[in-house]
Amino acid sequence: MALISASRKDPAAPSQDPPPPSRPGLLTRLRRKRLSAQTLLVGGAVIVVGYLAVVPLGYLIHDTFLDADGSGVSLDAFSRAYGGNSQSGDMLLNSLWFALGSAALALILGTTLAYIQVRTDTPFKSLFFAASLVPLIVPGILYSTSWIFLGDPQSGLLNALLFKPLTGTSPVNIYSVWGMIWVQGLHLSPVAFLLMVAAFRAMDPSLEESAAMSGASRLTVLRRITVPLVRPALISAALLMFVQSLESFEVPALLGLQNGIYVFTSRIYFVLRSYPTDYGAAGAYAIGLLLIAAAGVLLSSWLQRSSRNFQTVTGKAFRPRPVELGRARPVVGVAVIVYFLITVVLPVAVLVYASLLKYYAAPSAETLSSLTFDNYRQVFDMPLAFTALKNSLILGLGAATVVMLLTAVVSWVVLRTKARGRRLLDLLAFTPIVIPGLVLGLALAFVYLRMPLPIYGTLLILLVSYCTRYLPYGMRYSSAAMAQMAPELEESAAVSGASWFQTFRRVLLPLMSSGILAGWVYILVVSFRELSSTILLYSPGKEVLSVLIWEQFENGQFTTLAALGVCMVLLLVVLVALAYRLGARFGLQGQADSSN
Amino acid sequence: MRSRTPIFAAAALLSAGALSGCGGALPNAAAGGKENAVYAEIAALPKEKQREKARELAKDEGGTFTLYTSMTADIATPVAKAFEKDTGIHVTVFRGNSETVLQRTLQESQARRAGADAVETNFREMVALSDNKLLAAFHGSALDKVEKTGKFATWTATRLNIFHPAWNTRLIKPGEEPTSWEDLADPRYKGRITLEVSDSDWFENVTHYWLERGKSEAEIDQLWKKIVANSKVAKGHTTMMQFLTSGQTPMEAMNYTYITTRSAASGAPVTFLPKSGKSTVPAFPRPNGVGMLKSAQHPASAWLFYDWMLTEGQKELVGLHLTPSTKVPGDKSLDGLTLVPFDVKGLSHDQGTWDRKYDALLRGVDTVGK
Repeated sequence: MALISASRKDPAAPSQDPPPPSRPGLLTRLRRKRLSAQTLLVGGAVIVVGYLAVVPLGYLIHDTFLDADGSGVSLDAFSRAYGGNSQSGDMLLNSLWFALGSAALALILGTTLAYIQVRTDTPFKSLFFAASLVPLIVPGILYSTSWIFLGDPQSGLLNALLFKPLTGTSPVNIYSVWGMIWVQGLHLSPVAFLLMVAAFRAMDPSLEESAAMSGASRLTVLRRITVPLVRPALISAALLMFVQSLESFEVPALLGLQNGIYVFTSRIYFVLRSYPTDYGAAGAYAIGLLLIAAAGVLLSSWLQRSSRNFQTVTGKAFRPRPVELGRARPVVGVAVIVYFLITVVLPVAVLVYASLLKYYAAPSAETLSSLTFDNYRQVFDMPLAFTALKNSLILGLGAATVVMLLTAVVSWVVLRTKARGRRLLDLLAFTPIVIPGLVLGLALAFVYLRMPLPIYGTLLILLVSYCTRYLPYGMRYSSAAMAQMAPELEESAAVSGASWFQTFRRVLLPLMSSGILAGWVYILVVSFRELSSTILLYSPGKEVLSVLIWEQFENGQFTTLAALGVCMVLLLVVLVALAYRLGARFGLQGQADSSN
Repeated sequence: MRSRTPIFAAAALLSAGALSGCGGALPNAAAGGKENAVYAEIAALPKEKQREKARELAKDEGGTFTLYTSMTADIATPVAKAFEKDTGIHVTVFRGNSETVLQRTLQESQARRAGADAVETNFREMVALSDNKLLAAFHGSALDKVEKTGKFATWTATRLNIFHPAWNTRLIKPGEEPTSWEDLADPRYKGRITLEVSDSDWFENVTHYWLERGKSEAEIDQLWKKIVANSKVAKGHTTMMQFLTSGQTPMEAMNYTYITTRSAASGAPVTFLPKSGKSTVPAFPRPNGVGMLKSAQHPASAWLFYDWMLTEGQKELVGLHLTPSTKVPGDKSLDGLTLVPFDVKGLSHDQGTWDRKYDALLRGVDTVGK
């Protein structure tokens, strides 16, 4: 850190810093000006976020710790969940291995890709956009299934068409922990990519340039300057992806079960589908996951404790200048193409191929001669397709906007104020990530069925559900962006007479826009495929695209589903490209280059 | 806790509020609705006049009613359309898997909120709804056509899901097909079978069948261990069928025959019958059924739907390759199969015992307790 410290104030001596403007002011002002815009906005955001998180958590805790007869507190649910023949030790190890591996793979891929995209003069920049989004858009069921068709040890296309003829062996086995890590890691890498792109954009390259001028090698600069500077985003991404993998079910269900690789979510699935449903045991598993996640959140705030080290957005203007790759340019170019082929072209090609068949079969003269557009016709003939698309759009845009606005404010409270309970708020906002979708659905149904407001049975309940579910993601994106911002900008604004609201709207939000837009895009895209709580909460006439996908899947129409998947990929790519273009037009810094 | 701190106080308040609000989260006994007066009015008439009365009463219900079902969309949609065509009553359909249908119905009835008027779903969930006293009894003449095994206190079987092995005809050649459930334990199927992770009702039925025919528990345990040793595990019957059609897997220990038939109808190389056209594997027909909610807002329409599903609706099911619960001319779905009774008693109130046993078997661990 010596190089960084040399270029800025010593972080070990915070007393020299002027106190952040809002630190002592928040509580005082909250008390003094009870109805000011700031109080309303900050207080409102905190209450809404707290409310969103507490409802499912309260429901979960109630079901987990209360006796079967409802008379007292009991830990029976934990012994049912973890005791007996549940093999919880093995499952925990499998889960951790799978989650750590996937998060590591996604982090390495996403970060590398983001660095190359933002900071170098790599060729084929336009491919990054697709490479970063397509795996995110393709529903998990389809992405995993595509990889089964590619990587099955016997009949997978990679083995049958590539390795067998070349080497005489079939080395790829998708039904292994490595296979699971591969698919999950690729599917998650956009999370890291989006976060890291935002972080690299907000980083002043002059720090790296100074280091290079002082004689540091390229590797040293990367290791000592670049990586430490994007640490908040790195940690946020790692945490998100680790917990998301722990909680994910599609990949373990489709790939892990084959060879008896059970993870925690397999157990949650088991207890939730049995009747009478053991909500206590499901809750006990979720609380186990919650403890791991809480440890993760605490670890991440500990790692970010010397926050000034990461504040790269300061009052000083900077213009990011790409690193010239020089002789490495063709190598990087080839690597980009290979990555693009593996993560986008291969699985999407399988989808496109499947979407043109009546039923899936490996390519042969027979199948290739009978290709048809019938599946697309069926997609467009679906009576609910238009309604579902409209509802998904409303919900996706609504949830993304609400969550990012809320979390921008709340991350300010968590990172910029000394308010007591801010860590708890941070932790609370993270809890929905481990609550199984079905439990979230049950909790919301429980609450809103008993509320006189017309929310149950409308799109609003789905909006509440999506806002809750994606709150943790919004928080990570927002706080990673906020952590990079030096308080001196707010101080300058305050000194110049700006109100808190003006500072927030005119200074903070625009400067955080990279991170906020990344989070917005992420939530927009993933809300299109949210199913686990949707399936319980949607009402007839309020169908969304993920319900249609589920229906096609249940119908056994994989080929129609593939056609629907291809349409979704096209639609969301266009939508996100538009969002970036609009973002660029309205002055979001440095966005234009991501979509070209 | 220092409640003077606003954030913490807000969080604490919210926690307390939410926890107290959740005070009755999923009580063990669901509240049953009162017996609906409309059902009583219809039931009081002679059977031949009931349908007419229901039609008359349904007119005052707004010409629409809500059905919760686990029928897949490609079945539920034509069924709903045909009902609307026959009766003029529009069906608002909520589709979910059977667990979701059950959860939603239970939750809504506990909150005393009107949701479904009628439910059509799987055996186990229908039993649960009936146990929770949410369903009203039906006494219409349509019941006369249903076999005794398809009639239950407050619900009636509409269709049967037949448990039978299925295979890819390119990978399992004539003569290689299983001729009994015991065959699945044969080493010739090593690595070629797929088991579905939630098929505990099939597991119970085969076990029960073997016990009834004099096999000892030890023999049965051995057979299951060998079957599991031959197999891989997958999730979802339709997912499995997709891998079977693509030749990814050669054989499924059990899939519902209608899924195989529908796949074969689209040209996929899959079947459940050997070349002779006659299977000797005992096939278990699981009843899926219909029930009408006591709390229905459109009870006369729900009654009509119940009645229709057991009469005209049965023909509709045959057209969709499903197995109806009554005898319908032109139904070929049972041709070539050797049917044996589904173990209704063993699975009606098993409290999840067979789920746990099957789960333990697949994971290769001993079952603990009952």
